[in-house]
Amino acid sequence: MALTDFTIIRRSMTARLFSTVTTVITVAVAVALMLVLLSMRDAGERAFERGSGNMHLLISRDSSPMVSVLNGVFYANAPARPIRWDEYERLTASLPLEFAVPVQLGDSYRGMPVLATTTEFFTKFRPDPVEGWSLAEGRIFEKELEVVVGATAARSTGLRVGDILYVTHGVGSAGAAAAHVHKEYAFTVVGVLKPTGSSHDRALFIDLNSTWILHAHDRRIAENRGPDSLAPLTVADIEEPDRLITGIYVRVITREGQDASAALPQVFSMLRADPSITAAAPTDQIRRLFAIVSNIDQIFVAMAAVVMVSSGIAIMLALYNSMEQRRRQIAVLRVLGCSRPRVFGLVVTESAILGVLGAALGVATAYAGGLIVAAVLKERLGLVIEPSLPLEITLVVVLATVALASAAGIIPAVMAYRTSVARSLRPIG
Amino acid sequence: MPGESDALNILGLKYRYPAADTRSAKPGWVVDVASLALKPGEQMLLTGGSGRGKSTLLYLTAGLMEPAEGEVRVAGASVGALHGAARDLFRGRHIGMIFQTFNLLQGFSAAENVMAALMFTELPPREHRVKAESLLRHLGIERFDAEPERMSVGQQQRIAVARAVACDPVLVLADEPTASLDPENAAAAMDLIQSICREKNAALLCVSHDPTMASRFSRRASLDDLRDRT
Repeated sequence: MALTDFTIIRRSMTARLFSTVTTVITVAVAVALMLVLLSMRDAGERAFERGSGNMHLLISRDSSPMVSVLNGVFYANAPARPIRWDEYERLTASLPLEFAVPVQLGDSYRGMPVLATTTEFFTKFRPDPVEGWSLAEGRIFEKELEVVVGATAARSTGLRVGDILYVTHGVGSAGAAAAHVHKEYAFTVVGVLKPTGSSHDRALFIDLNSTWILHAHDRRIAENRGPDSLAPLTVADIEEPDRLITGIYVRVITREGQDASAALPQVFSMLRADPSITAAAPTDQIRRLFAIVSNIDQIFVAMAAVVMVSSGIAIMLALYNSMEQRRRQIAVLRVLGCSRPRVFGLVVTESAILGVLGAALGVATAYAGGLIVAAVLKERLGLVIEPSLPLEITLVVVLATVALASAAGIIPAVMAYRTSVARSLRPIG
Repeated sequence: MPGESDALNILGLKYRYPAADTRSAKPGWVVDVASLALKPGEQMLLTGGSGRGKSTLLYLTAGLMEPAEGEVRVAGASVGALHGAARDLFRGRHIGMIFQTFNLLQGFSAAENVMAALMFTELPPREHRVKAESLLRHLGIERFDAEPERMSVGQQQRIAVARAVACDPVLVLADEPTASLDPENAAAAMDLIQSICREKNAALLCVSHDPTMASRFSRRASLDDLRDRT
């Protein structure tokens, strides 16, 4: 094999292995930090964009549209003020809606939200604008006391089809509505969902009648109707005051294959005119939320950029320091026929290679780091973030790193370019 | 008149250190060569005390420094008329240089040091190693992949000689080639340099202040002899 420029660069790097390795690690840390921040932001935004899926509007009695979305789509809290069933029917009767799926939050199982709804939640609503629900096993609930378990909930509880569970009714730990487990009503798991990458993965789903039965049970105890009140109730025992929901997922009629609807603004303003309810457009609310959050993560990204620039300076310093030792080598190469531009190129290329190595190590680190951060977020916050490095972001960061590294090589390369052959080859002493 | 067939032709070459340089305390021309010509294969010794511009003359000849006046022609081509990369390439292909301190590339094997000189020639890359190794073998070096730092000074000088002649130069410039060697090694090194130059029909311009060198060269001059006295 003939000697090539690349051989010369490689030797130069291995001759100062410690400096090379530390420089590459410095670059890698900066790249990894930048990638994790950018991809987390991206993944976070995507995780939030999922969840509302093909719903246009969310109707609730929460104090503001933002709270309504956080509660109704992201299960932040159980809404305090319910909507009566007759109100639901009145609200949705006259509107041109593709679906109006009633949902009710307030029950839980081992800390995970239990959403009571109808089968339309699975047949009409989709958590992702494109993809619908699919089952890992079993089927959707068909009647009361049947449970469908979200993918994350299933993973953390170990619930499988056929398992029995007892739902906790109510929220909080004190007062009349304090959380209590209904041992009288054994729910059977009939289905486990595949992951959707949305907030719904953390939830369990039951039929509205199921939670209404529990409500009726509590109401009877409160009314103190005697021993017979403790007998397990059925759908037949549900009375009008039990029929409560906390939200309505609404989609206005659209043309085939289109997400936007001409009727949506009209429906939206009609609903907003009703002071007793809160109508929220989830996508708008999520956009607002990220507009608020993006200020903060812009600071993070700016900090990561500063770290990247520092790593560029580290490359420059490493090469700059090596120049004194390399003057003789450069002078010899010049004597042998190497031109000044080629010498310049050797140094810039070495700098760029340091950048490429650092970027490669950084991407690997970011991938591993992303897995760890995602695991921590899931563990601590229950936030499902798929740790993926979007190709575009990765490419941009890698290219930026290589460009930065090349730029960092310019000053040492100019030194190399200007090396005086006669002086550098003068005998020592 | 200088013939186009001359290996080296120097005419009215003058150089002085830039005014900013502290060494310009010494006034006048550092290098002042009225005329000097070497035929292909011809060997010449230039003498003169240290600091008399012997090395500078060699760097001027190789086109690594710019003269104030005058012209250097190597194999008929004016070095001064070539610029930038073209001049570097010309030097790489036609001029070999040997130094007192060898100036071998650290971290590179014996063969790689020779191949470094071939990088800038027209020889196809796949022939580089074969050529480098045969040249080293010819000069008595068998450990191609050993690093020169681990070899004796005599062997190091041989590698340096191999590197200088690897491009089959028209002209070899030797700057105090024996100053780092003991008398025995010095004699062997000079034997080698002179014989390989003869073999390759390369002209040899050797500068030295070593008095024992004189007997080796039929053509000798001191720098003072070459001065323009008009």
